Amino acid sequence: MKIAVLVKQVPETDSLTLDPETGTVVRSEDSSIVNPLDLYALEAALRIKDADPETSILALSMGPPQAETALREALAMGCDEAVLVTGREFGGSDTWATSRALSAALSKLGGFDLILCGEKATDGDTGQVGPEVAAFLDLPVLTYVGSLSLSSSRKEAQAQRIVEDGSQVLRCRLPMVMSFCKAIGEPRLPLLSGKRRAKAAQLRSFGLADLGLTAEETGAKGSPTKVVKVDRPRLSREATFMDARTEEGMDKACDALIALMLEKGLIVPSAAVAGATAARTQP
Amino acid sequence: MKAQGFALMEGADAAALEAIVGKRNVIFHDEERLEPFSHDETAERSYASMPEAVVRPASTAEVSKVMAYASSRRIPVTPRGAGSGLSGGCVPAMGGIVLSLDRMNAILDIDLENLMVVAQPGVVTNSINEALKKHGLWFAGYPMSLETCFLGGNVAENAGGGKAVKYGVTSRYVTGLEVVLASGEVLRLGGKLRKDVTGYDLVHLLVGSEGTLAVITEITLSLMPVPRRKAVLLASFAGAAEAIGAVPRIIREARIVPTSVEYMDRASILASCGYLNESIPYGEAGAMLLLEVEGEGNDEVFANYSAIGGVCEAAGAQSVYVADNRTTMERIWNVRRNIAEALKVRSPRQSLEDVVVPTAAIPAFMEGLLSLAAEEGVQIPCYGHAGDGNLHATVIKPGQWSEEEWARRLHHILERLYRLSNSLGGRISGEHGIGNKRRDFIGINLDPATIALMKGIKAVFDPQAILNPGKIFPE
Repeated sequence: MKIAVLVKQVPETDSLTLDPETGTVVRSEDSSIVNPLDLYALEAALRIKDADPETSILALSMGPPQAETALREALAMGCDEAVLVTGREFGGSDTWATSRALSAALSKLGGFDLILCGEKATDGDTGQVGPEVAAFLDLPVLTYVGSLSLSSSRKEAQAQRIVEDGSQVLRCRLPMVMSFCKAIGEPRLPLLSGKRRAKAAQLRSFGLADLGLTAEETGAKGSPTKVVKVDRPRLSREATFMDARTEEGMDKACDALIALMLEKGLIVPSAAVAGATAARTQP
Repeated sequence: MKAQGFALMEGADAAALEAIVGKRNVIFHDEERLEPFSHDETAERSYASMPEAVVRPASTAEVSKVMAYASSRRIPVTPRGAGSGLSGGCVPAMGGIVLSLDRMNAILDIDLENLMVVAQPGVVTNSINEALKKHGLWFAGYPMSLETCFLGGNVAENAGGGKAVKYGVTSRYVTGLEVVLASGEVLRLGGKLRKDVTGYDLVHLLVGSEGTLAVITEITLSLMPVPRRKAVLLASFAGAAEAIGAVPRIIREARIVPTSVEYMDRASILASCGYLNESIPYGEAGAMLLLEVEGEGNDEVFANYSAIGGVCEAAGAQSVYVADNRTTMERIWNVRRNIAEALKVRSPRQSLEDVVVPTAAIPAFMEGLLSLAAEEGVQIPCYGHAGDGNLHATVIKPGQWSEEEWARRLHHILERLYRLSNSLGGRISGEHGIGNKRRDFIGINLDPATIALMKGIKAVFDPQAILNPGKIFPE
């Protein structure tokens, strides 16, 4: 069976800095990792391969040449092959343009039974690429998959989706796209032998021409989303200390606390509550 | 009068101390607030002892006045940092004053020209490294509790930690101290100097003196550049002998000194993984090594870990895992760092030990430890710093033993453990200190003439023996 796993290279969250002028993430090679949530998709693929060594796994990423680091980590973990979609023209792509390029690469490579991805990337936080790839490829998609088993024929899968108020178990025919959540299992660490193999591996890379796309279909030009402005929320904390060591102080403190909570809208005046209750109880 | 003729504290003493440090910085006659100062992180409460007062000075001048007053009244004074010690070093064994240095918590000077930092004893060790981060520098003394412990405690105990195999222990980086003697006299020793043979090396006599010679009020540390890249290997072996046997070969054959060589036996790994709900692949491993390496760039780090990992494989490693980004490195380190806590949660009644043996003797020690545990009918999980022979064997109280039986048999087990380490050329403590926890056993390591000489030094510094009495030496 053939599996493709979509991976993204993201900055490590503890070394993340924003450009104060542009509000965009300052990316440096030194502190980039595989998107932590993509590791669960890799783990899901590797578990299928553990059970069936005939499985081949391809890791696919789009990004600057440095994204090679993420792909090599995927190879070290046990993927068989890695492809990087790269080129200046792809710069500034939103999730739609990214999905279009990744779908083109997947079509070109062809023959995948499963296309797996993480729930979302820790930098963009959209969770859109997986479903959009499915849309471009006209494949069914399951998001938030927490466990997965395949039929012996490898033509069908049974997947458990972890949803807000419980879980859904679905049986579906392959090929399809799935995004995974953490419930799938802790991602494995790469072995030294894997690291060595990954270091020596040749990565394939696809450019615009390889994918048969035009410059208008990708990068900032091919992206319907425009980032107009980025604001960093200002964190403010206030504290007021009230002296409540005496009876009198306690009364004053309570009054002040109530006034403050009313002012901040944390509580509503009792008259309003009474009115609301009355309104609710009327037929 | 109490033991050794110390004065019992009275209301007038508290008033005098309040006059020095302010009313709110003295705790007196308040059992509930005094209790936290009666112990450190040593699991067994039998080493705890209540202070009569806690005094929290804000400056060297205040420390000096407190010491002068305590001297005049002959009140014991026990300096205290974060209370994260593991030998009862900051426990007021004879009552009296606990001198808490938590308010003296300023980093006074980051000197980028001399590559030194000057800090007060109450600074949390990790905050020094946080402050130095943007300069690409760090204090390479690396106690495992760095997020909670205070620098003053590190210096007083000469703390070691997980990077000693390459970077050495706290003392290597202490170049200057300001200290207050028992009399209240203030001394400035050493300075921002990397060489200094002017007279006896009092700086390094005071480092590790466990608060028994003077109160440390200011510390000058030399700094190191932060390595650009790091990676961590996790190698699993069939057993202790195989794991430990790999360690000298790593340095000899790969010709690389790892930053850390940490040893974990199976019981320790299982406890920590269970505690953290972590699933690192321990498989059938009887023991594991955590190895950290540094390098200038990715290629150098790869070459280093590849070489070290290769030696592990040649030495019989079952598997070697690699973590070369912060997320995965932290995952592995977290398992090692949480062993002590995990064992404590699982078995709160225990004795966390700290023996140190010559590195080549570790397999013999582990073998002896296994038979000791079997003969005594106790579990003794063991982990620690394989690169420097410092092993945290942890004696766990069996559930069926009564308190009385535990107390009696623990003493006997510890004596056997210490004698085992001594017979291999080792010592009873490598980095936690003697304090009151191990003082009855120091004679296993030191002959009477050595102890007499040490006591003589103590008498010169502190003729009235008011500083941290009841520590290091037996009654």
